[in-house]
Amino acid sequence: MNKKLRPYAYSLPALAVIGFIILFPIFYTGYISCTNMNIYHWFNFRWIGADNYKKALFVFDSGFLPALLRTIMWTVINMVVQVIVAFFIAVLLNSEGLKMKNLYKTILMFPWAMPAYVSILLWRMGIYNTEFGLLNQWLKQLGLGPVNWLSNSSSAFLACMVVNLWMAFPFMIMTIDGALQSIDKSFYESATLDGANWFNKITKITVPSLRPIIAPAVILTTFTTFKQFDIIFLMTQQQGSNTGANIHTVITYAYEKAFITNNYGYSSAISILIFVIIMIVFPIVSGKIMKEEVD
Amino acid sequence: MKNAKKTMAFLLTACMIGSSFVGCQKKSTAATSGDTKKGPVTITIWQETDATVAKTLQSELDKLGPDIVVKLERKEKLGDALKLVGNDPKSAPDMYFFAHDKLGTFAQMGILSPITNFISKDDMKDLMPMTVNAATFKGEIYQLPVYFETQMFMYNKKLMKTPPKTTDDLLKYMKENTKGGTYGFAEQHSTAYYASAWMHPYGAFIINDKAEPGLNSQQMIESLAYHKQFIPYMPADGEFNTVTTLFKDGKAHSTIGGPWLVPDIKAAKIDLGIAPMPIVNTTGKPLTPYSGVQGICVLKTAESKKAAVTAVLKQLLKTDIGISLAKTANCAPANSKCYDNADVSGNEMINAMKKTAESVVPMPNIPEMDVMWTVTEGMLAAINKNNGDIKTQCVKAQKDALSKIEAMK
Amino acid sequence: MSKRKTKRTIRLTLTNLFFIIVCIACLIPILYAFSVSLNSGNNFLSSSFFFIPKQFTLNNYKTILFDRPFFVWLKNSVLLALFTVIAALGVGVPAAYAFSRQRFKGRKSLLYILLLLNAFPSILSMFALYRLLKPMGLINSYTGLILIYTGTMTIFSLWNMKGYFDTIPEEIEEAGKIDGANDFQIITKIVLPLARPTIIVTAVMVLIFVWNEYIFAINFMTGAEKYTLAVGLYSLQATDYTRNWPLFSAASLLASIPTLFIFYLIQKQMTSGLTAGGVKG
Repeated sequence: MNKKLRPYAYSLPALAVIGFIILFPIFYTGYISCTNMNIYHWFNFRWIGADNYKKALFVFDSGFLPALLRTIMWTVINMVVQVIVAFFIAVLLNSEGLKMKNLYKTILMFPWAMPAYVSILLWRMGIYNTEFGLLNQWLKQLGLGPVNWLSNSSSAFLACMVVNLWMAFPFMIMTIDGALQSIDKSFYESATLDGANWFNKITKITVPSLRPIIAPAVILTTFTTFKQFDIIFLMTQQQGSNTGANIHTVITYAYEKAFITNNYGYSSAISILIFVIIMIVFPIVSGKIMKEEVD
Repeated sequence: MKNAKKTMAFLLTACMIGSSFVGCQKKSTAATSGDTKKGPVTITIWQETDATVAKTLQSELDKLGPDIVVKLERKEKLGDALKLVGNDPKSAPDMYFFAHDKLGTFAQMGILSPITNFISKDDMKDLMPMTVNAATFKGEIYQLPVYFETQMFMYNKKLMKTPPKTTDDLLKYMKENTKGGTYGFAEQHSTAYYASAWMHPYGAFIINDKAEPGLNSQQMIESLAYHKQFIPYMPADGEFNTVTTLFKDGKAHSTIGGPWLVPDIKAAKIDLGIAPMPIVNTTGKPLTPYSGVQGICVLKTAESKKAAVTAVLKQLLKTDIGISLAKTANCAPANSKCYDNADVSGNEMINAMKKTAESVVPMPNIPEMDVMWTVTEGMLAAINKNNGDIKTQCVKAQKDALSKIEAMK
Repeated sequence: MSKRKTKRTIRLTLTNLFFIIVCIACLIPILYAFSVSLNSGNNFLSSSFFFIPKQFTLNNYKTILFDRPFFVWLKNSVLLALFTVIAALGVGVPAAYAFSRQRFKGRKSLLYILLLLNAFPSILSMFALYRLLKPMGLINSYTGLILIYTGTMTIFSLWNMKGYFDTIPEEIEEAGKIDGANDFQIITKIVLPLARPTIIVTAVMVLIFVWNEYIFAINFMTGAEKYTLAVGLYSLQATDYTRNWPLFSAASLLASIPTLFIFYLIQKQMTSGLTAGGVKG
C-alpha cells in the first residue's frame, strides 16, 4: 500500500464511525435548530433560519448566568477534589509492603461497576432520605433531629457532589495508579541519594511526571463533569420528587426551559449554544496543557 | 493472530447486518399485509403496564385468533419511543395501551388516528362519559377507554378507628397522632398529580382545556394556603417511596393512593380500609384528585389494517375485558354495563372509584400539560418545602408556565 | 534498624487501617442495596434499619435468577458486549497506531478536534441517530446498537491507545525491519503484543460501558426477548406498576458481579495499560 495513504486507510474505519455517531448528530442538531420542529410541526417542519437562536438568547436570562457559574464551580471543585484525593489514595496504594493492594483496588472500583442511575437511586433513597436514609438514622441514634439534606440548595449541592465524587473516584484512582507505575523508580532512588525527603519527591518527581500522563483522562472527565445531568436531575428535580433545591446547572436548566417543551428546533438551538460555550471556555482554560498533549 | 480476530469480526458483523436486514424484511411484509391478503393479520400493541393487566389483555385479545393475531409488546419509555418512531410503519406499533394524558401531544404531532375512523360513536354509548371526555382532544376521540383509576383515601383499620369525614377532622387527627416518626396522614403533598386533589375543591386548576394555566388564580392561592396547614404534620419529603413505605410499615395511619398500591399493602398484612375522600370544610366539596383513563389508541400507520383494528376495538368494547380486569387487577372498567356484574359491583375498591367518577377530574390531555408538571411541582416544592411566600411563588410559576407554553411554539 | 522497622510497621498499619475505612465508606450504598435485596417486603426503605432485615429471605435472588429472564438478559449483554469490544478494537487499534506512528497532514488538528467533540451535550442525539439508522434498516437490531456504542467509545479508545503506542520505541520496529520483516509482520508480531496491556484495558472500558448502557438500548430495541441486563434492570423499577425494590436491588448486584470479576482478573494489565495514556516518547 502506498505509504502516504496508509495512515488514512488505517484511521478510516475509526473516523467513519466517529463521523456517523458523533459528528452527524451535531450537524443534524444544527440543522434542526434552524427549523421549527415542535409538536405542532413534528413531521412537516420548515426552515426558519435563526429564529430559534433569537428565542434561545432569552433563555440566557436571569436564570442562566447563575446556572453557568454554578456549573463552572461544580466542575472546578469536583475536578480539584477528585484529582487531589485520587492522587493521595493512589500514592498510598503504592506504599511498600501493602499486601492487600489488589483487594482494596477491586473494592474501590465497585462504584464504577454499577449503572449510574442505580447508584444515584441508592444514594437518594438509602442515604439522604429524610425518614429512612442512613444519615438521618444515624443522627437519630445520636439524638439529633432529622435533616432535610436535599431541599436546601447548599446541602443539596454538597450531597450531589459527594455522589459525583463517589462515582468518579474509581476511574481517577485507576488512572493515577497506572500512571504511577510508569515513573522510573531510579528517579526516586537518585533523589533519596541526593537527600530529598518525601515531600520533595512528590512535588518534584511524581507530580511533574504524572501531569502529561493523566492529562487526557482529566480533560475527558472535565467534559463529562460539566455535562453531568443525571445526578442533579435524579436527586433533586425528577418529576414527582422535586426537593425544592435550586441547583440548576447549565444542562438541567436547558432541560427545564427547553427540552420539556418538546420544541426540538428550540432545544437544538440551545444545545448548540451550550456546545459553543464549552468550546470557547475550554481552550482558554487549558490551552497550554492541550498543546503539550497533541504532540 | 490479531488479524484473524479482525477478519472474524468483520465476517460476523457482515453476517449480523445481513440477518438483521432479512429480519426487517420479514417484519415489514407481515406489517403491510392488509385486508386484501389471506392469512392472519398481526396487530402489535405496545404497553408499559402492570404484568397482570397485560396478561389479561392478551388473553382477551387472543380470542380474535386465528385470523387476527394480537401481540402485546412491552416497551419501556413508551412515550419517548412513540415520539421517535411515530410515523414509521416498519418500527411503529399499530396501537398502544397507555394513560390518556399524552394523547393530546401525539394527536398534535399527527401520529394518531381517531378511533371514530374504525368504530362509531354509537358503539361507545355504554362507556362512562367521564372516560370518553378524557379520550377526546379537539373534538376527536383518540382513545378507547378500557378502565380508569383514581385515588382513594386509604387507612389502616388497626390504627385509625374512624376515617375523618372532613379535612378539619383530618387535621385534628394529624395533630393528635403525629409524633416521633409516626404520622396520622402522609401523602405526596408536593407532587402535582396528588396535590391537585386539594386544588379542585376550591375550583382551582392547573390548566384548563383552553390551554390557559391557572396557577396564580385567587382560588389556587387559597387552596395552597389551606393545604399548607397540613404540611408540618407530614414527612418533609413527600415522595412516593417514603409515603408508601410509611404506610406499609404502619408508621402512617392513612394515605391517599391508587389501586396499584393495594397488592403491596395487602402483602404487608395491613388491614386496609377505604373511605370516601374527606370534604374540605371551607368549600363543602370533597378532595377531588385527578383520574387517569387507561385505554387503546390507534396509530395512523395502522390505517391500512382497518378491519383488524376495528375487530380489536370492538372486542374491547365488550364487557368481558372490563370484568376480567376488575377480577384480576382491581381495575374500574370504563364500560358502565360491567357494573351490572356481581363481581365488579361487589368489589369495595372499584365501587369507591366508581363513586368518585362523577366528580373526579381527568388529567388534562392537552400538549401544554407536559410543561405544567415541572412548573407546578417547582411551585409546590418552593411553598411546601422551603416556606416560600404563596402569592409570590404562584405568580412566578404562572409566568414560567406561560413562557414555557409560548416556547412550545 | 529496629526503629526503622517499627516506623515501617506503624506506617503500614495506619495505611491498611485507612484503606479499610475508605473501602467500607465506599461500600456503604452497596451494602445498603444488599440489605434491601434480602428483604421480603417490597420496601426500598425500612423505618427500622437493621443490616439484616427482619424479614430475611433469599427469595429475591431466586426470583431474579429463575422467574425472570435473567439469563436471557445476561446472554444478550454478553453477546452485545463481546461484539462491541471486537468492533471497537478493530476500529480503534489501527487508528491509534496511525495517529501515533505516522505524522500525516492534519494529524494534530484532528486529534484536538476529536477531543473537543466530547463537549457536545448528547441529550438530543437520540433523534439524529434514529434518522441515521432508519434508512440503514438498523433500528431494532443489535448491529445498530453496536455501531452506536463503537462510535461513542472510539474517541476515548483512540486517545488512550495512541498514548500507549507513543511509548513503544520506534527503534524496535526499525530493528524488525532490519531483520527483514515486512510492515504487516512488524505490526502483528512486534507492536501489538507489546501493546497488549492497553488493548486489554480499552476492551474492559468498552465492555463496562456497554454493560451498563440502557438508554440507547431501550429506545432502539423492542421486544422483551432482546433486553440486555441494563434494560431488564430498568424494567424492574420503571413504572409505579412494576416496581419491586428488593428484586431490583438483587438484580443490580447480580449484574455488577461479572464486571467486578473482570476487574479483578485484569488487575495486572490495568495498571500498565492506563499508565502511559500520555507518556511522551
